[in-house]
Formats: sequence, C-alpha cells, structure tokens
Amino acid sequence: MTMEERTVKRDRMRYIKNSLAANLALLGILFDVLYFVKIYQSDVGTYYYTILIGASIVYNLVFLLAVFLSSEGVKNYKPGYTWLLAAIGIGQIVRIFIIPARAHAATTLVNGESVPVMGDKTFLYVVVLLIASAVCLLASAAVNFIRCHELAEHMKTVAPPPPGT
Amino acid sequence: MATLSLQHIDKIYDNNVQAVFDFNLDVKDGELIVLVGPSGCGKSTTLRMVAGLEDISAGRLFLDGKDITTTPAKDRDMAMVFQNYALYGHMTVYENMAFSLTMRKENPNVIHKKVLAAAEILGLTSQLNKKPSQLSGGQRQRVAMGRSIVRSPKVFLFDEPLSNLDAKLRGATRREILLLHKRLGATMLYVTHDQTEALTLADRIVCMSMGYVQQVGTPLELYDSPANMFVAGFIGLPPMNFYDVTVGGGALTGEGFKVALTPEEQDTLKAYNGKTIVLGVRPEDIVVGPDVAVTVTTNENLGMNTLVHGHIGDSKAASAKITAKLKGWSDYKNGDAVTFSFKRKHFFDKETTNAIRKGE
Repeated sequence: MTMEERTVKRDRMRYIKNSLAANLALLGILFDVLYFVKIYQSDVGTYYYTILIGASIVYNLVFLLAVFLSSEGVKNYKPGYTWLLAAIGIGQIVRIFIIPARAHAATTLVNGESVPVMGDKTFLYVVVLLIASAVCLLASAAVNFIRCHELAEHMKTVAPPPPGT
Repeated sequence: MATLSLQHIDKIYDNNVQAVFDFNLDVKDGELIVLVGPSGCGKSTTLRMVAGLEDISAGRLFLDGKDITTTPAKDRDMAMVFQNYALYGHMTVYENMAFSLTMRKENPNVIHKKVLAAAEILGLTSQLNKKPSQLSGGQRQRVAMGRSIVRSPKVFLFDEPLSNLDAKLRGATRREILLLHKRLGATMLYVTHDQTEALTLADRIVCMSMGYVQQVGTPLELYDSPANMFVAGFIGLPPMNFYDVTVGGGALTGEGFKVALTPEEQDTLKAYNGKTIVLGVRPEDIVVGPDVAVTVTTNENLGMNTLVHGHIGDSKAASAKITAKLKGWSDYKNGDAVTFSFKRKHFFDKETTNAIRKGE
C-alpha cells in the first residue's frame, strides 16, 4: 500500500463507520447468548439454584446492555469504549472459572445416583462459546484502539472546517 | 461526455393511450436541454424513455451514435435526479453518494476521492456525516445530484428536481445547477413545467403539449418568435394576451380597439388582408399610449413593475381581458380608464394557431 493509499484509507474513516469493531462486539453478544442459553439448559437437579445463578442472570443483562452500547460507541470511533470492551472480554474468560468449571467438577445425586452436573461435552461447548465471545470483544477493542489512534493522528493533518459550516 | 439522438420516438401504453408522438431531437455534447410543458404533456415520459425506465414503443434512441433503444437502464451510463430526491434515509450523505459505486464494487479509495470531489463541487463537504433528515430540501437535492456526479455518467437526467423546494431555495438551487453544468460541461436533459427554470437554464428548450413537440429552440427564440399560440401562451409570465382581429386598411381591428400596423407588419400580413387572425401581445410589450382604451379591474405592484389587469373598452367578455406589465409603480384603481399602446405584436393564424411570419 502506497503512502497516498494509506492516507486515503485513513481519511475514509472520517465518513465510514467502524463497522468491523461494531460487528465484532455484536458477535461477542451472540456467543454469550448461546452460552447462557446452554448453561441454563444444562441444569441437573438443583445445583444451579443458588445466588450465583441469579447474579449470572443479572450479569448477562448488564453484559448485553454494555456491549451493545459499546458496539454503537466503537462504530463512531469513541476511544473510551475500547477499555470497556477489553474489560468485558477479559471478564468472559474469568467467567469460565465461575460457573462452568465449578459445575464441571461438581456432582449431584439424581435418583440416588451421583452424576456430574456438567458433562465434558457441554463443558467444552460453553468454554468454546465464552472464549469465542472474549476473542470477539478483545478483537473489537483492539480494532477500535488502532483505528481511533489512526483517525486521531489523521485529524491532526486535516484543516478544521470553516466556522459556521 | 456524449451526444444523444432521439428519432421518431413514440410512447404508447398498454391501454393504447399514446403519451408521446414522433419525438425528434438531437442533443449536442455538453448541451443542457430543457423539456417544458404543462402536466401530462409527455415530457417526463420522454425522459424516462431516455433513462430506460419506460420502453420505447417506436423510434430509435442513440447515445454517441450507438443504438441504445433496447439497452437496459443500468447499462445506459446515465444518471437521473428525481423530484423526491430518492435518498436512503438510514445512510449518511457520504454513504448515499457512494452507494452506486459501492454496489459496483469499485475500489473504496477511488469511491472516497470521487465522493469528496463531488461534495466539494456541491458544497456538501461539511454535511457528509449527516443523514438526509438533517438536511434542508435544497441540500437533499444537492446530495441527489452528488450521487449522480460520482458516477461520471455520459448524460444527466433531471426530472423536475426543484419542484419540492420553496421559491427562494428553488432560485438558489437553479443557479447551482447552472454552475454545475458549466463546471462539468455535461450533457443534460432537464424536465420542468416551470418556464422560469426553462428560460434560465436551457441552452435549448423543447416545448411540449399533448405529447407533441411544439417548438425546439433557444430560450430567446421561444420567447421572441413563438412557433404557435401554445408556445406564445406558455412561455412568458404573465402569459401573452390574445385577441381576434381583422386585418385591413393598414390596421388591425378588434372588439373595441383599432391599432395601426407598421409597413413591415403590413407586409407580413399581406396574405391575410380582410381575414381574421389572432393578435398576441406580451404584457411587457404594453405601454401607456393612445390606442386601446382599457378599464382597470386590479392593480398589482411588484416593486419594479406593476401588473395592471383590466378589459378592453366596456366589454366584460373573457376575450377582452388584458394584462399589462408596466414599468415602475402605478396606482390604478378598479374602474379607472386608461389607454394603452402595443409596442410589439405577434400574429397567429386563427385556424392553425401557427405564427404568421414574413415570407411564409
């Protein structure tokens, strides 16, 4: 890519939305939705009926709102949302160790028989979903960080519009 | 840019209604042609046939000498600007202008350059991130024009683009279109029912009525030498006054008035001696003088001019109505008696309604 092409590409950011970062954030939401649908499906006995699952439901609602808001933010190259998305992305990794890992290690009695709360297959599935969600959110944050930085640098070279326009 | 040739074009709809009859026109490279006429005269239909949005029932259409009569609209390399802008409400100005090129999968950097260049021409650079709903009517129409410009088409087609704008904005946008034409040097076909737009914009005007071309010529030709009574009445504001008069004795005698003819006018009308013709007088060719007695009904002051409406003599008949556009400020009252003279006269054959010209 020549210097001119790079400049034009940067200049385009003044008028083109940051769709890549926004769509990655929305994809992160999709993986999270698939995750919580699965985790609430995989209930065995009464293992999940604790304060933890209530907190998980509330967290998911907050997650949906925050990431959707962030996707709108990054669409318009708002740098502040980079950190929010990165934090939520890391949070998705941490979540693996809160419910799935515990449920995978735990057993419960069903008809007098001890069975694992979460089987290997389900565990693998939800872990993949959380990791996928985390990757999308972190990638969205990274893309937004880079583009916001490029745009900010480019804007320093662009003359401000005349007053009143 | 491009030349366009319309040869014997007819448009007949499925219900056998014929909208356009034997339309012939050669548009030169870089020419701005205005199709003007009242509603239903076939001007928009003609434009839509050129664009490829309507089938051509008969005749041939050539672009740069190539027959494009049956070529699909998308392959004609023409851009059309509609009255209602036809912008995508959910897209920004930039995205609207870039849309057609994006659909063609052109290089984004090339699209960017073209959009910025068009925005610069149209003064839209500071509006590129706005949605159409945040723009005024004039700005929206400029966006619609910008969308055409970025495509660099061979021919621009405008279908009453200013009709949705208020009078002030219409004037400003009209001047912008004129500047745009001068700047791009593009071949343009422009449809309007507004004679002011036609007279101010056109290199040549095509005046249409009932599907027929009435006259093709420069604005001055249409104003100064209208081919028939329709053109004479349509071009000019207020419209021309018409009176049935009898030619004879070196004068024209109408109901309640008699005006002398100049030797040149007598020469023009020598074949009509003793016959009844139609006299046409433009309101701006009427001055205060000794020839025609008029009773004033209304007086409209426009600042630089005054429109004086009245009727000739005591007659209340519609055929005796007269409108004069006098210079300066006048204060005639209803019922005032005034006498006018005709500075310039137009003559029309009563049967054919065609203009009577010297040597014809």
